[in-house]
Amino acid sequence: MRLGSIKRYSTTFIVYIILAILVLVTSLVSDVFLSFRNFENLSRQVAPLGFVSVGQTFAILTAGIDLSIGSVVSMASCLTTGLILGREPLVFPVIALVIFLALFIGFLNGFIISKTGVHPLIVTLGMMSVVQGGILLYTKSPYGSVPMSFDFLAWGNVWKVPFPILLFAAVAAISIVFLRRTVFGRYVYATGGNEEVARLSGIKTGRVKVIVYMICSFTAALAGLFLASRMGMGDPLVGERYMLDSIIPVLIGGTRLTGGKGGVGGTIAGIFIFTILSNALNLLDVSAYWQWIVEGLVVIVSVSLYFREKS
Amino acid sequence: MNTSFPATYKRIEFLMGQNIVEMRGITKAFPGVLALDKVDFSCTTGEVHAVVGENGAGKSTLMKILAGAYRADEGKIVLKGEEVSFSSPREAQRHGISIIYQDFNLIPELTVAENIFLGREPQKRIGFIDNPTLYEGAKKLLEDLGVHIDLQVRVAELGVAQQQMVEIAKALSLNADIIVMDEPSAVVSGKELESLFRIIRTLKESGKAIVYISHRIDEIFQIADRATVLKDGKLVGTVITSDIDKSTIVRMMVGRSLSETFPERRKGGDKREVLALYSVSRIGALRDVSFKVYSEEILGIAGLVGAGRTELARALFGADPIDSGEIFLNGKKIKKNTPKASISKGIGFVTENRAKDGLIQSLSVRKNITLAILDRIKKWFVVKDGLEKQISKTAVKQFNIIAPSIEQEVRYLSGGNQQKVILAKWININPSLLILDEPTRGIDVGAKSEVYVLMRRLADQGTAIIMISSELPEIIGMSDRILVMHDGQVMGELSPEEATEEEILMLATGQKSGKSGAEV
Repeated sequence: MRLGSIKRYSTTFIVYIILAILVLVTSLVSDVFLSFRNFENLSRQVAPLGFVSVGQTFAILTAGIDLSIGSVVSMASCLTTGLILGREPLVFPVIALVIFLALFIGFLNGFIISKTGVHPLIVTLGMMSVVQGGILLYTKSPYGSVPMSFDFLAWGNVWKVPFPILLFAAVAAISIVFLRRTVFGRYVYATGGNEEVARLSGIKTGRVKVIVYMICSFTAALAGLFLASRMGMGDPLVGERYMLDSIIPVLIGGTRLTGGKGGVGGTIAGIFIFTILSNALNLLDVSAYWQWIVEGLVVIVSVSLYFREKS
Repeated sequence: MNTSFPATYKRIEFLMGQNIVEMRGITKAFPGVLALDKVDFSCTTGEVHAVVGENGAGKSTLMKILAGAYRADEGKIVLKGEEVSFSSPREAQRHGISIIYQDFNLIPELTVAENIFLGREPQKRIGFIDNPTLYEGAKKLLEDLGVHIDLQVRVAELGVAQQQMVEIAKALSLNADIIVMDEPSAVVSGKELESLFRIIRTLKESGKAIVYISHRIDEIFQIADRATVLKDGKLVGTVITSDIDKSTIVRMMVGRSLSETFPERRKGGDKREVLALYSVSRIGALRDVSFKVYSEEILGIAGLVGAGRTELARALFGADPIDSGEIFLNGKKIKKNTPKASISKGIGFVTENRAKDGLIQSLSVRKNITLAILDRIKKWFVVKDGLEKQISKTAVKQFNIIAPSIEQEVRYLSGGNQQKVILAKWININPSLLILDEPTRGIDVGAKSEVYVLMRRLADQGTAIIMISSELPEIIGMSDRILVMHDGQVMGELSPEEATEEEILMLATGQKSGKSGAEV
């Protein structure tokens, strides 16, 4: 019993050790790091990356990937502010519309991938371009506005805890339960582990993929709504960085790019490692370019650690 | 049953040429199986030497050792009078040994000429390919073979027969003295086979040694000077083909050395029709297949590799679509044939290749066992954790699966235990029809007999079982009825009492057509 459990959790275990060391080192070298203000700041930074990385975890678990995630973030942010234009009564209808549109894009991704068999990398890359082009036709520069009440999404507090971190915690928790406990979650792992075996076991792998890409787009819509609230204005290029940034925490978290192994638990640690690292380097006044270099090295080193552990 | 042969068949000194290669006492073990047991083999210049035996006899393993793809555990190889030991195929190639595999080693997107000289391109200056020399060389090689293939064409555009020629040209460009062909007739036939034989004869006249692996008896008499017969990894003997007849070779191929015990059949019972096929066809795989399967019986399907047995199983299960014909399950016509529908109707399918389509290696024993029944153990959308664990633990106990825990990933289990996990998975769906494709391939003797007992118990409880197997003793020992397939067709039906290995092999090689199973 013991042996199996240790093997299973060892990768996640390593990620959390890395995270703990990072927190320890950062709090030693910076006295601001552990302050309440910085915590609040951090938790508002974590949210958008957190949403999309959780979504991306689903796609990668099925041995796929969603590169359209960033463009959906941009789309959600622009449409939200552009359609609401500060009008209070339109808040909820527009949120519903934006989420519906995102789900539709996810559906198209999944449908094309499972019907044609074209690699998800290509399908979602194409979709990224289509969606991004659509937004730029809609607006080429930051646009729109939201009413005060909409600020709550990014700036609100519930018992002094920033609302976005609570929302992220909810999304992460639901995802973990979804993947670990539900039939659908098991199908995700089975499809990514070996699609043919999954199919021969009676699993409709095409449907699994459609749902997975819809989840991806849904988390992208959440991130877009959050960013619209944080900035009060939609930006057609705000999501660009999430195309690749969403993948990094998933990989740091130990989910295999080949599918079937890993999970949201590791991704959460990956998100915090990624965010704390850039927060710490900011606090230490390190140039943004150095941050890129350090982040890149962390990805390569951590992922190669897992591969050593595997063999 | 122990068949003995005149001692003179063994170790005949051949007069035609000098022994170019000799393999002595070659032994090779894989986990759970002794693939080769002290096998001797020799080949002379200007000889075509056939290596024959049933599936799994050790033919390919022996030749892979000669070609440096495997290393022997024991024994030695003497090449042109010198003892050699190859650590890689490349090293064997440098010593003049080339092997041509069934599935070839060509790069589809490169041209014929580029493939022939792959890895040994003539160079002008460092790094720059000397194309004129390359094409000139390739042209000459193909001319010597008397083959006309456009050198500029991509290999992907060639048929298999032509690809085979390219492989032969490649072997010649490596200055091979010994060319091993691994079941070339598995991919070509008819006229193409004739022209292959013509080329083999040309090569032979030029003093090359050709090793021809096959299990088709006719061909051996057409092309080979000598034949070495292997059986269960042991050498049965080496014979001069002109001295013997077909039945002797067949007898050598199938003669039993060790007796295996199979669980006893129960007579009588109340058998009813479970499955009926009428003229099922799938282009390129199945032709007009009709038969019935009854409850409480094991229907064995024999045939050689490529006879369409796995394709039949996949079509039955709905893994591949059929082009025409009808399938009835429990008297009802199957309309929508998908794996999901099949499972819900109680059809289970244990596939041939555990790693590729049998198990999800990255998931635990527990998750593999319940993969096909998750719908039955859920509440709303959530898997009932306790029930799932209980089912897996019961299965582990019942099937005697040896694993440290039900949470162990299946990749760490032995072949026999992996197979038992698959069986547990499918028996858990309570199948009324269970299809088993090579259920005992690559598992050890102990696990084998456990699988046999399990199959018989299931059948006694009423399950209809279709067992595809390439092991003839298993077919005869386990089946209540035997169908023999060849070339996508059912060649005949035999009862285990009347079936002999010779009889099955005759049907399976297409030399004889018995009463057709189509008469249902």
